[in-house]
Amino acid sequence: MSSGAPVSPPGSARSLYAIVRHLLRLQRWAPLTWGLSLGLSCALVAAIWPSISDSISQAIASYPDAIKEAFSIEQLSSADQYLDVEMLSLIVPLALAFFAIRSVARPLVGAEENSYLDALLSVPLDRRVLAAGAMISTAILLAVILAIIWLMTWAAGLAVGAGIGLEEWTLGVVNVWPIAFAFGGFALLLCGMLHSLAAVTGVASGTLIAMYLIDLLGKLSPDVEPLRVISAYRYYGSAVQDGFDLSHALGLTAAGVLLAVAGAVLFNRRDIR
Amino acid sequence: MAPVIRTEGLTKVYGEDRGIIDLSLECGKGEIFGFLGPNGSGKTTTIRTLLDLLHPSSGRAEIFGLDSRSQSRAIRARVGNLPGGFAYEKHLTGRELIQLFARLRGISDLGRAEELAQRFDVGLDQPLKQLSRGNVQKIALIQALFHSPELLILDEPTSGLDPLMQAEFIRLLEEERGRGVTVFLSSHDLDEVERICDRVAIIRSARLVAIEDVHDMHRRAMRHFVVRFDRPVELEPFAALPGVQQLELVDGRLTFSVSGTADAAVKLLAGYTLTDIEITHPSLEELFMTYYGGDHE
Repeated sequence: MSSGAPVSPPGSARSLYAIVRHLLRLQRWAPLTWGLSLGLSCALVAAIWPSISDSISQAIASYPDAIKEAFSIEQLSSADQYLDVEMLSLIVPLALAFFAIRSVARPLVGAEENSYLDALLSVPLDRRVLAAGAMISTAILLAVILAIIWLMTWAAGLAVGAGIGLEEWTLGVVNVWPIAFAFGGFALLLCGMLHSLAAVTGVASGTLIAMYLIDLLGKLSPDVEPLRVISAYRYYGSAVQDGFDLSHALGLTAAGVLLAVAGAVLFNRRDIR
Repeated sequence: MAPVIRTEGLTKVYGEDRGIIDLSLECGKGEIFGFLGPNGSGKTTTIRTLLDLLHPSSGRAEIFGLDSRSQSRAIRARVGNLPGGFAYEKHLTGRELIQLFARLRGISDLGRAEELAQRFDVGLDQPLKQLSRGNVQKIALIQALFHSPELLILDEPTSGLDPLMQAEFIRLLEEERGRGVTVFLSSHDLDEVERICDRVAIIRSARLVAIEDVHDMHRRAMRHFVVRFDRPVELEPFAALPGVQQLELVDGRLTFSVSGTADAAVKLLAGYTLTDIEITHPSLEELFMTYYGGDHE
């Protein structure tokens, strides 16, 4: 035998571990950039709560009921509720779902566009393992970013005596992970069908925004309300104000997994251009 | 002995691109097989189909007797591939790239990678973005070779390499051939193919035109004569030479080409007193043009 190359390729678990490690390394700054920016925003909101708590409660009382329901601001009597309205109802889930879309799509269609896959797939790596690696690394990064957001906000709340409810704030932050993960799965599904990072990002982000608007309008208009069932935001809800709905969180996570599995199968079957 | 690469009616058509149509060829163990054609003729499509990056529209390909679609991972474990226009994450160093590929190949010993880096005179500790095109190509060659594969698939391997490194690369390929490694080399550099390959497949507009032994091609190909005589000569005897072409007599300088053996031409010239003679072998480019007929479609 002339060669030293192993005839049997390494097992899927070893390949998956190597890919996840590689993808985490490629995105090693993401927890700092995304976590710090969102964490600082949340920390700022927590820090100003003590100085505005009285006036904002009066202002909220004068809002129309429909607006209060639409934006989940039935009452604003605590820092965690204020954080929920200001950050967790829109900005954080939107930003992290966008992060998940990009994080999943970049090592797949992004790498395809840059011809990186011609090199990477020269080794005995199953494309489904690469897709799984993209999902797993994204899931880990989401958790780390959320942990940074949680910690920075909690620390700011402690420093100014904002009185953030530990359980409410923790559940509110944890509740972001399933919806962001689900959009990561949706991005992977699109990677199985499209060949352009811009196209995947555009379609997935457009769907993300459309779902938010459907959910918002559904709360305001009885005519649109039935459409809320197709919006991920309906199942996201508000863990701070309404409690953490485990079935919805598991449902979103399962949807993300199913979309990702379908995406991985399609990605394996299609041409790499 | 079973061929290392075998394609049967391999066809890949996508979009408006013709890709490759009805490609049937075999490449034997220890052979350096050239795959020659102009840009856009289907060389890279063929390689990407062999490696399962593209899925055939029809036909099939086998490598080591394994199906290129259903057994692609097992094939890739035994293959070293240098993609054309190699690119990877630019902030990785060469070492990090090799380490990643080694982990994905289940290899822990990077000794050969170090050896090759020394041979190609390239450092492994600089990010790819800081390397010149030639040095990136050296890293690409190392990642194709470091695991000592049984089959090397090389798409434009000397692209960006300076002449010294090209010569080193050719020496390396000869060593690999000596170890029984098979090389499938795609190129539009005719001189490169001429120097390295045993056989060459010529591809035109997505279709295989010919598979030739490089030495046979030369033997059968045109010889160009440029002759000066000590006195004026007539054209007629030269026009009667078998297979003569491009016969021209200008200012006492006779030029012509003959295909196949040059024996008759040499015997005819022996009857004259010559002041100068130049006989040139054709370049592979000229051979190539005989297959393309000037049509680079």
